Amino acid sequence: MLLGSLSLGMSFFLSAQPPVVESTITNRPIQVTGDGYVSSDTCQACHPTEYESWYGSFHRTMTQVATENTVRADFDGVRVNNVHGQPMQLERDGAEFWAEFDDPQWNETNGDPPRIRRQVVMVTGSHHQNIYWYSTGHGRSLNVLPGVYLINENQWAHRSAVVLHPPGQSLAMQDGHWNAICIVCHTTLGKTAFDTPYGSEPITEQVIDTTVAEFGIACESCHGPAEAHVTANQNPLRRYGLRLSSNSDQTIVQPTRLDPTRSSQVCGQCHSVWEFYDANGERLANNHGLPYRPGDELRDTRFIAQPSVDRISPSIQTLVTNDPEFVRGSFWPDGMVRVSGREYNGLLDSPCFNQASTDDRTLTCFSCHSMHKSPDDPRSIFEWADTHQVSTDMTGDAACLQCHEPIGANLPAHTRHSEGSSGSRCYNCHMPYTSYGLLKTVRSHTISSPTAAETAELNRPNACNLCHLDKTLAWTADRLLDWYGTPPPSLTVEERTVAASLLWILRGDGGLRAIAAQSMGWEAAQTTSGTSWMVPHLGEALGDPYDAVRFIAARSLQSLPGYANFKFNFAGPRQARIDSAVALLRDWRASSASTTRRDSELLVNENGVLRLDLMRQLFDSRNRRGLFLRE
Amino acid sequence: MADQSEPAVHYAHHHLRFGWWSLVCFLTFGFTLELLHGFKVGFYLDVPNETRRLMWTLAHAHGALLGFVHILFAISLRVFPTLASISLKTVAWNLTGASILLPGGFFAGGVQFYGGDPGLGILFVPIGATCLGVAVVLVARGASAPRHANDHATKR
Repeated sequence: MLLGSLSLGMSFFLSAQPPVVESTITNRPIQVTGDGYVSSDTCQACHPTEYESWYGSFHRTMTQVATENTVRADFDGVRVNNVHGQPMQLERDGAEFWAEFDDPQWNETNGDPPRIRRQVVMVTGSHHQNIYWYSTGHGRSLNVLPGVYLINENQWAHRSAVVLHPPGQSLAMQDGHWNAICIVCHTTLGKTAFDTPYGSEPITEQVIDTTVAEFGIACESCHGPAEAHVTANQNPLRRYGLRLSSNSDQTIVQPTRLDPTRSSQVCGQCHSVWEFYDANGERLANNHGLPYRPGDELRDTRFIAQPSVDRISPSIQTLVTNDPEFVRGSFWPDGMVRVSGREYNGLLDSPCFNQASTDDRTLTCFSCHSMHKSPDDPRSIFEWADTHQVSTDMTGDAACLQCHEPIGANLPAHTRHSEGSSGSRCYNCHMPYTSYGLLKTVRSHTISSPTAAETAELNRPNACNLCHLDKTLAWTADRLLDWYGTPPPSLTVEERTVAASLLWILRGDGGLRAIAAQSMGWEAAQTTSGTSWMVPHLGEALGDPYDAVRFIAARSLQSLPGYANFKFNFAGPRQARIDSAVALLRDWRASSASTTRRDSELLVNENGVLRLDLMRQLFDSRNRRGLFLRE
Repeated sequence: MADQSEPAVHYAHHHLRFGWWSLVCFLTFGFTLELLHGFKVGFYLDVPNETRRLMWTLAHAHGALLGFVHILFAISLRVFPTLASISLKTVAWNLTGASILLPGGFFAGGVQFYGGDPGLGILFVPIGATCLGVAVVLVARGASAPRHANDHATKR
């Protein structure tokens, strides 16, 4: 029995995989401590509560090494057709993940690209999408697989389909893209470590020794390097002295204790549209990591683009010269940010931030969001993380009423909507879903009041018509004039006679169509506007040239009563998509739902028949200028 | 076995009683901890309560082991008659103090705590450890002392 136990123990010991030492890995970036960074594992011992909620957050899992725990897609002999060129073939080899696909670096015009087989070593994202990075075979440089895995949909899509991107434009990345671009915000103290700035010299002629302090956005991203803090607090008397007093520990940065500007900049270091001031700044960051540390003035070391106030500044002009779509790809015409993940730009333009009377009445990121779930929060860590880490009490009107107390005393008098209705929710009017990213709309973080002018003059959906999808812009202008004295803009005939949402989805640019399609799937808008009339318009959007619009339209359709089982492959062959849309319209016409609404604003005549002529007319006047949103 | 002096018998009885009751207490405490595990009680098992879990585990382990120490001491009083040469009262007080302060300090340190640091109840632990140290050293010295002069004479 003793011999049996011993042999069992020995066989277990011999078969166990020894832990891989990070420094021995040569085919991907590695984690190294140094520069005062000690890693989140060190923080865990003294801060288990904070560590636990961070561990459950999507910040931690933004960048992960590819393992069977982090790779969500099936790689076990799977063939992926939804990619450009020949299908991608996925394989498992023990603990390793491999993919065979057309070489994205191949730039000959004739012939087929060669096939390459590469090991997938890193993963970006864990919430909505898994983006896979393969080892290029050149130093630690990475490039992206041609397919992206959509987690909730359990579906692959080609990479250019998951961003709002003009059809036909290539989104191929150069080798080293992760090392030079993604590393900046998706890791803690990433050091690209190229010989020269990215793109200035051929990647194959560079030594690439990329390192990070930690993959993902870890404790020290927001609290700064913690070595001094750890050393000082090895003294138990110091620790208990701090625990039992209200004094802050000067050896570490506590973002919530910074002044509103510096506090928000901690989030703004990633959640903003920014650029280096010059090539030298980029070169230094390449070698030593970004110089910004929490608590510093962010603008000392980088340029935060804010076209609402500095559109004619030399910095913006330089950026536009190098990239003519720089402003349009991230901002609405008035400079309001329109892409997700850049909420700091929205905050900068908000009167609640820049016109607040005192620090304690200034809106900051932490007014509504918490980076560590409160012990009093009844939600699970996943629920808290899944709802953008909004604090326990800030999911409703309390977020605004903490400063705007008088409005809360009689909410309907201000909102002109019944108490408890979606029209009485502060967020819905002052933070409408006008930003876009990750195949969905997100709330604008520029706190504003709705106007008809923003739609008529800037082509930005207004909060009223994002919910009242069946109403015209003229209807909105009249209400806002009656209720708040908001001056109405001059409106075109269509804006007076056709529901605003239909103008967006039929003649708007790709971004506007995506927002309109998403709104038709929004429960509050469906309750307010009804749903039966939406089917043909969402059906029409199934044929949209933008993959992202088709994806969103299909998802919204599936949220309509009776369409939960509607099947549509947004990235499938064109003819199959047309067939699906045609069948959908045929079934809808045959149903009683097609004649439920006979409002002319919805492009239906008095007999309940669709005004195809008007639809065609609007479609022909569509804004077809390509739009690439830089989410 | 040598004749037992009256105080030694008294202390042997005292420590046997204390030791066995101590084991009863900490067996019950251990059973309670197992129930907390069994029913996955977050108050004890959640990651943020890791310090509590550690402190209470230590309280259980120290309490139970000290119960055995009391029983061993009681047996030692009968095995080593030379222990009568030391101050049994001092040993008894220190041993009893350690049995209260060590597990009590760990337990109190886990009731209220500060992140990874136990609560202030932990301050009882070094005091209890000192008491235990004093008791152990005294017993070790007593066990090493030469036997009574009469015994030496008899042997000769």
